[in-house]
Amino acid sequence: MRAVVVRAFALGAVAAGLLGYALAAAVAVIAQSGGRTVDVHVGPLVLVAVARAGATTATTFGSGLLAVALLGGVVNALVAAFLARRLRRLRRMP
Amino acid sequence: MLEASDRIVLADGVVLRDGRLVDGVACTSWPVNATGAFVLARQGRVLGDIAENVAAAYALPVERARGDVLAFAWQLNRLALANVDRRAGRIRHAATWLRLAVRLAPAGAVPPLTVRRRPLDTSTVPRAAVGVGRALASRCATLALTAAALVAHVGLVAGRPSLLAPGAVGLAVGAGIAAHEAGHAAALRGVPSALVMRGSRVSVVHAPAGAARRALVAVAGPAVVAAVGAGLLAASVALGAPTLAAAGGPAALHALGLTVLASDGRTACGLSS
Repeated sequence: MRAVVVRAFALGAVAAGLLGYALAAAVAVIAQSGGRTVDVHVGPLVLVAVARAGATTATTFGSGLLAVALLGGVVNALVAAFLARRLRRLRRMP
Repeated sequence: MLEASDRIVLADGVVLRDGRLVDGVACTSWPVNATGAFVLARQGRVLGDIAENVAAAYALPVERARGDVLAFAWQLNRLALANVDRRAGRIRHAATWLRLAVRLAPAGAVPPLTVRRRPLDTSTVPRAAVGVGRALASRCATLALTAAALVAHVGLVAGRPSLLAPGAVGLAVGAGIAAHEAGHAAALRGVPSALVMRGSRVSVVHAPAGAARRALVAVAGPAVVAAVGAGLLAASVALGAPTLAAAGGPAALHALGLTVLASDGRTACGLSS
């Protein structure tokens, strides 16, 4: 059970991190091409920020992506624990 | 959905031996009774003719024999043990399927599709990748064109007609599916495998492997495509190229396959039943 949860947490974190990054990158590219500035954050955690200074554009992927990855890992691990328990109960049935 | 004019042929790696149907790829076997063996001995012939032979040999009404033979053939195909050889009337069959789908739509049901199993050479990684590419070429091309058409339509409606973005999305969707399955096949190097296409679902059947290898095989498919997608998105941000983002987005979505929402993710976590 522990191995299932640990593996699910790791894979869920990677998946959520990648998806969060993909979303943030898409927002950044749209902002860059439109010549706009963007600052997407949840509380103090920045997800992505696009700032312009003259002709220069600075894109920052913040620590919010790490939080998204951790949250994804936790949710995946919880669902995996639920599924593992249900699977074990099914296997016990005659 | 089978018809009396269809034929069935045992899939590569499946043989009838000592009263059992042995799947040499999945390393499983199924008992077959005398009538089943009688039908299988005539594989490759039209099912309607086989049904007439069964009716004559077992003194059965032809209609009942036909029903039994079709049900047996359907079960073999459902288990990916036999392929359906439909040499003629594909368009007519597709029309029949569509009519049935429309009739079943109010019940929220879809008529089942036939299963197609193809052998997969996993002796080397390039051979495995090429084998998957060949097997899925038409399917990937269809999906790529559909995705590209949808994106082009959205672009037209939004007043931003473009060929680059639809092309990039279409390429990412089509190549992504092929690369996903190629990732699984590459991780199965040296393990007897076959590609099974069940409607829109594609899976790889393989000989039993250890838990670690099974997890690696499950992760390899979505991980390869998602990593390429993330790379394309990083490049698009660095270069300010939205077209690369259009290709990277659909590829990155394969990361969902790593979660327990998808069968690959469940297999990687040891949750497959």
